[in-house]
Amino acid sequence: MKTIREINERIKKGDAVVLTAEEMIEVVEEMGPEGAAKEVDVVTTGTFGAMCSSGVFLNFGHADPPIKMMKTYLNGVEAYSGLAAVDAYLGAAQPNSDDDIDINYGGAHVIEDLVAGKEVRLVAEGYTTDCYPRKKVSTTITLDDVNQAILVNPRNCYQTYAAATNSREEKIYTYMGTLLPEYSNINYSGAGQLNPLQNDYNRERKTFNTIGIGTKIFLGGGIGYVIGEGTQHDPDKAFGTLMVKGDLKTMSPKFLRAATIPNYGCTLYIGIGIPIPVLNEEVAKACAVRDEDIEVPILDYGVPRRDRPVVARTNYKELRKGEVTIEIYDSDLGRVVEKTVKTASVSSYKKSREVAEELKKWILNGEFTLSEPVAPLGRGSCKPMKAEAKLVRDILSRPPIVAKQNISIEEAARILTEKNINHLPIVDEEGRLIGIVTSWDIARAVAQNINSISEIMTRHVISSTLDEPIDVVARKMSRYDISGVPVIDKSGKVVGIVTAEDLSKLLGYRKF
Amino acid sequence: MKKRIYYWVYEKYIDKPVISKVILETKVMINILMAKMRPQESFLILELSGSEKQIEEALDLLEKYGEYEDIPKIIEKNRERCIDCGACVVHCPVKAIYQDEDYSIVFKEEECIGCKNCAKICPLKAIKVFDI
Repeated sequence: MKTIREINERIKKGDAVVLTAEEMIEVVEEMGPEGAAKEVDVVTTGTFGAMCSSGVFLNFGHADPPIKMMKTYLNGVEAYSGLAAVDAYLGAAQPNSDDDIDINYGGAHVIEDLVAGKEVRLVAEGYTTDCYPRKKVSTTITLDDVNQAILVNPRNCYQTYAAATNSREEKIYTYMGTLLPEYSNINYSGAGQLNPLQNDYNRERKTFNTIGIGTKIFLGGGIGYVIGEGTQHDPDKAFGTLMVKGDLKTMSPKFLRAATIPNYGCTLYIGIGIPIPVLNEEVAKACAVRDEDIEVPILDYGVPRRDRPVVARTNYKELRKGEVTIEIYDSDLGRVVEKTVKTASVSSYKKSREVAEELKKWILNGEFTLSEPVAPLGRGSCKPMKAEAKLVRDILSRPPIVAKQNISIEEAARILTEKNINHLPIVDEEGRLIGIVTSWDIARAVAQNINSISEIMTRHVISSTLDEPIDVVARKMSRYDISGVPVIDKSGKVVGIVTAEDLSKLLGYRKF
Repeated sequence: MKKRIYYWVYEKYIDKPVISKVILETKVMINILMAKMRPQESFLILELSGSEKQIEEALDLLEKYGEYEDIPKIIEKNRERCIDCGACVVHCPVKAIYQDEDYSIVFKEEECIGCKNCAKICPLKAIKVFDI
């Protein structure tokens, strides 16, 4: 048994034994948790990943005449300023107000530029009052010019994160990166055995051994503090998060980096390192966690719902090897087949190591001592939003108006005009979808003197199912530039159709 | 030996089996790494393998139907910006990018065919692609 005070004494004298979490694994294997707890004083951890829930509180000081800033832009990126006159919060994931720049230069990029010492354009507007007569301000500032730049991140340092793959026939762009069609890659994130919360997690009690409110940490190359559990903190499911703060003025672009996840958004990569005081055997045991001990579910991001199906379960050791073999259902073969899929990390293990090494160096040099937490982390909560989803079954046009392939162009035209519709799904003898004909196709057939439905119908039909949310159907329509989506059941039979008109009626827009 | 080239087929030979002809006449092995057909010309990235003589003959023949160019250095890793995450690795069709034992990202620049997939997905915009 040791105390943080005793460990700090040793750090100051230069006698402390400090290991990174990777090095600690071997020591615990050799000496056992009891021996390791006697031998080792501090274990340093590190993670370096995309942390969207990050941002910075800025205080710009008062202009003369003074202004109450209500709309505030830094290099074109809006910062929330519904606070006191010259306070603002700039979120990392905020896109640029210029649509042409959009996510290519957002909040995270402004934060990185500030840290790099670059000049940033500040433009703000407000309403005027007797005490704040100024309407507008436009100036150039650097990090040195602001009074405070305090990084306050509501959710950082995830204990773990599920990996992502894609069952769809098309490439998709997600916050887990670009996912190739038909399970062609698996993207994962997380430092695994180096992650701060993994190394502090008490698997029996489902709590954290040493990290609490007030724990002093390495944050973006500077010194920061844990100010509580992060949002969506869920220790019962080994899914802890942290809320952290630190002075942006002490940070470095080496450990704080802006990024753009293609066709998704901008985000901030931050290095976070937490020292774990090895107070006893229990703490030492937790620090011996290895990549292979941490289970990682692989989720199908091809399903755009909150609860994505688990395709397989693996661990960080397997993921870091570069490929994982999973079992998937092949609909052409009608059976389950094995597929070896390449894996790619979207966080940096190399940088995570650098964070843990840097923190170790600070402690060995005696520049960084440990703090005593003032309270443990809260229990947190990670439950779904209370929001109803409207599903396709709620707005479906029924019964479906369909036709067989052998009808003539004239008959198809008659059905469309009589029923006042624009889309005619074409079905086989069993009523299964095989194509679709639109009024535009009919017009084309007439213009080009085409006589058969099979020549004009679209065969690769974008379809929907009854339990698909209408938001997903709307995205399909805009992505493929179509205005009608047939709805099919499990056997491929057409049960109805959703059109752009149905969706616009729902939104209360005027029918065209 | 192996040689990678960019190859533009002249407009009048676009509909001719130029590559097959070169293979049959010189017995050189040709791997088509990329092909883009356009109305005015078609563009290909080819990897020729065979003896030095075979490759020379193949290049002479290719020149009759179009123009070729050696593939110059196309990608470069910006060491300052790269965080060595590894997101780019799977997007390379010719395995020109890999992660070494220290988890550093390594570019085998001579293997690159200039498809730009890696640069498009890099979150840090740390890959510079020189235009063809």
